[in-house]
Amino acid sequence: MDSCEGACCGNAPRRVVSDLFDRGYRRNRLDPFPFEGAELRDTNDLTARFSLDLENGAIESARFRISTCITLIAYCELITELAAGKTVREAAALSEEELVAALPDVHPMKRDRASLAINAFRAALAAASRFETGEVA
Amino acid sequence: MKVAYIFATSRHTVSYVLAKMILPQLEENRHGVNVVGMFFFEDNNYVLMKGNPTGERLHKVAKKSGMLLMGCDQCCYERDIADKLLEGVPIGCFPDLYKALSGNMPDQVITL
Repeated sequence: MDSCEGACCGNAPRRVVSDLFDRGYRRNRLDPFPFEGAELRDTNDLTARFSLDLENGAIESARFRISTCITLIAYCELITELAAGKTVREAAALSEEELVAALPDVHPMKRDRASLAINAFRAALAAASRFETGEVA
Repeated sequence: MKVAYIFATSRHTVSYVLAKMILPQLEENRHGVNVVGMFFFEDNNYVLMKGNPTGERLHKVAKKSGMLLMGCDQCCYERDIADKLLEGVPIGCFPDLYKALSGNMPDQVITL
C-alpha cells in the first residue's frame, strides 16, 4: 500500500515555519561540512554559522550551527533547501527579501532573523569561494 | 506587588480563569496586584488571535496599563497563527520573555 503523502500524515514537506523548524532542528545538530563560514551574532544575541559541502562547484548540501530560535532555524533550513544544487554564484543571489516573502507566516517582529540567516550563509559562500579561487589552501 | 501570569495548562485556564476572573477584575481595577505580563503556551495562544472576544478585551487592558502580552513562538507557529495575532502582540521564547519583562520585573511569576 502506498504511503499517504498528504499533510494529514505529515509526509509532505511543507515550507512553513513549524515544518522547517522540525527539519532544521535535526540539521542543526549535525557535524559541520568542510567549508565553514564565520559565526555571526545579531543584536538579539543570536548566532549563526553555515557550512557547505561542494561537489563540482555546486552546493551538494548545507548545514548550520545556530541559536535555538524557531524563526531563525526555519529561515536557515529554508536557505539550505533553496541552495541545494546551486553553484556558489547562483546561491549568492538568494536575498533576505526572498526569504521573508517565502515564509509569510513568520511573525512581523521576527522577520529580522532572515538578515542573520542570509548573512551567515553568505559568509560560508565567501569561504567556499576563497577556496575555489585558490585564495585559501 | 507586581505579578506575571504564565498560562501553561489548557482546560478552563483561559476561558474561565482569565476570561471570567482575572480579566473582569483588571477591567474594573480591582485585581489586587499589578499584572505586568502574561505569557501563553499551547492552545491558550488562540486567545491572542485577532477577533477573539476575550483577547480583544485583554489587548485593550494591556494597551492601557502597559502590560506585556506574549505568545510562545513555537506554539503559535505550530498552530499557524503567528501572523494572525492581535496588533503588536509579540511571540517569543524564554529569552524574549525575560528581556521584555526586564524593565518591569514581576515580584511573582504565577503559572496557571
